[in-house]
Amino acid sequence: MNGATLWAGNLDSVRRRIAYLALIAICAAPFFLANAFYVHLAVLICLNVAIVGGLALICRTGQLPLGHGAFIGLGAYAAVTATMRAHWPFWLGAVGGTLFAALLAALLGWVILRLRGVYFVLVTFAFAELVRLVMLDWPSLTGGANGIAGIPPAALFGFEFDTKVRFYALALVLAVTVIVFLHVFFTTPTGHAVDAVAENPALAEASGLSVHRIQLLAFSIGSGIAGLGGALYAHYVGFVSPESFNTALSVAMIVMLVIGGRQSVWGPVIGALVLTPLPELFRGAVQTQHVFYGAALILILRFLPGGLASLLARRSVDRASY
Amino acid sequence: MDLTTLVGQSVVNGLVVGLLYLLMAVGFTLVFGVMRVVNFAHSEFYMLGAFVAYYCVTQLDLPFLSSVAITFVLALAFGWMVEWLILKPFRHDELNGMIATIGLAMILQNLALMAFGPDPLSMPSVVQGVVHLGFTVVPASRLYVVAFSIAVLALLYVFLRYTRTGRALRAVVQDVEIAAAQGICAQLIYPLGFGIGVGLAAVAGALMAPLFSVSPFIGAGPLLKAFIVVILGGLGSIPGAALASLLLGISESLAGTFLSTGAADILVFAFLIVMLVVRPSGLLARPEQ
Repeated sequence: MNGATLWAGNLDSVRRRIAYLALIAICAAPFFLANAFYVHLAVLICLNVAIVGGLALICRTGQLPLGHGAFIGLGAYAAVTATMRAHWPFWLGAVGGTLFAALLAALLGWVILRLRGVYFVLVTFAFAELVRLVMLDWPSLTGGANGIAGIPPAALFGFEFDTKVRFYALALVLAVTVIVFLHVFFTTPTGHAVDAVAENPALAEASGLSVHRIQLLAFSIGSGIAGLGGALYAHYVGFVSPESFNTALSVAMIVMLVIGGRQSVWGPVIGALVLTPLPELFRGAVQTQHVFYGAALILILRFLPGGLASLLARRSVDRASY
Repeated sequence: MDLTTLVGQSVVNGLVVGLLYLLMAVGFTLVFGVMRVVNFAHSEFYMLGAFVAYYCVTQLDLPFLSSVAITFVLALAFGWMVEWLILKPFRHDELNGMIATIGLAMILQNLALMAFGPDPLSMPSVVQGVVHLGFTVVPASRLYVVAFSIAVLALLYVFLRYTRTGRALRAVVQDVEIAAAQGICAQLIYPLGFGIGVGLAAVAGALMAPLFSVSPFIGAGPLLKAFIVVILGGLGSIPGAALASLLLGISESLAGTFLSTGAADILVFAFLIVMLVVRPSGLLARPEQ
């Protein structure tokens, strides 16, 4: 029996090593791809990994915001305004966009996170709609429905990320940073507090944790990450408009998170990896794609509530219980 | 046009939209009360209701009244089925239930898009002409809709207040376990509550179809307003919802007349946040114990 356990343990670590190698290979592949379209997809996947990672952090506290798209948009518009009007360098604009999104989330969260969970959902939804309307109604600053075009490409220390492959390097750094941050965060006491709050808010509160403060922290950080993702997206695509950040985007992020998995750091990675390229399969049939998304969402919730990532986790749990 | 006429006209228009918001919000709050699930598919039932009424009136040449009745019955049956087939495992599961209804909304909206196409259709109005009310002029079709909405709400009130089933429904809203202990079959009340809730959304859609256009995307606006009404009035409070929706309708209409529509939306949201800080349990609610 001992031998079997050892063997299983070995096999597990071999598998894990293979999985990590495969992941590194996937990350490196876009540098060698000749097809610009695949590199473009890889950039979008990386940005989605980061943004959904931020959403995962909020969701881990037991609250699911329905206006994540608005914070992506706020970050994007703030960064673009800073670089194009105030002529800030790219990095400062991106930091500004991040802080702007995080600050607004903190203000909003301070009010609504004291209430029952359902109010959080309703208000974030209404807030996202309001942000979109303000962007549409304030053409002098946001360009209104026409949006803002001709956003300069990202540049750091004189190096311009003006090709897709170069930008991919930047997006990959962002995605890896967010995932590593989440991984480390959930090993810290604050990270455990987040899990405790989700598990049983009343017990967490009784144990001396401030549920409000922890949820507020997660909401601000998660929205800040969304803002950073939005800032990078704006400088990558070169164009933003209020319709880029509507409810459909918020819902798409939730679909990625739920299908990928809410309880694991790998959930956002798997969700973004699987769902970002999916529209290409349904090219010219957007409605079929959304029906498929909806059905997948319901089926995953019903039969695999931990998402695709739980398939990986279940393996190791099964083994551990022998 | 002098100021009194302008204000009077805006108030009347505001009342009409306010009643629409109320129908949406009451159905929404009923579904939440019974199942503890934020129903994001509510907007799609509104949209489907508008389409059913449109087809009844234009293709089958049915009178408007029976079209609305057919819409309600169909929505009730469809809602019952959806609850039983899809949402059953998510009762009392706030987070997963909500995500499931997002999936449901995506499916319904896109199926409607495939079936009916994206172009808005316009439905003939129910009646022609205008009615003079004091110093304001109201299109008769709007008055018709107002009368219908009030009738539907009155019927709902009587049903919830005086019938056995209605009382059972309210008992389940208050406490499922105690209700079950009193011999109420909760297994039937869940689909019934969901069916009636989305039925009200469908009736709202059917009533508004002659006033506005009919397309797969029409549900989003009313859903957002229902959310705002529910937050202002306090979740689960029907009198609160009534007051909030009429206030919202009238203030939107007034602000839309004298300011821009965008400014009206921003003011409403600012008011909402202030309300959440000052009176989080709603306009009329007593503070939670």
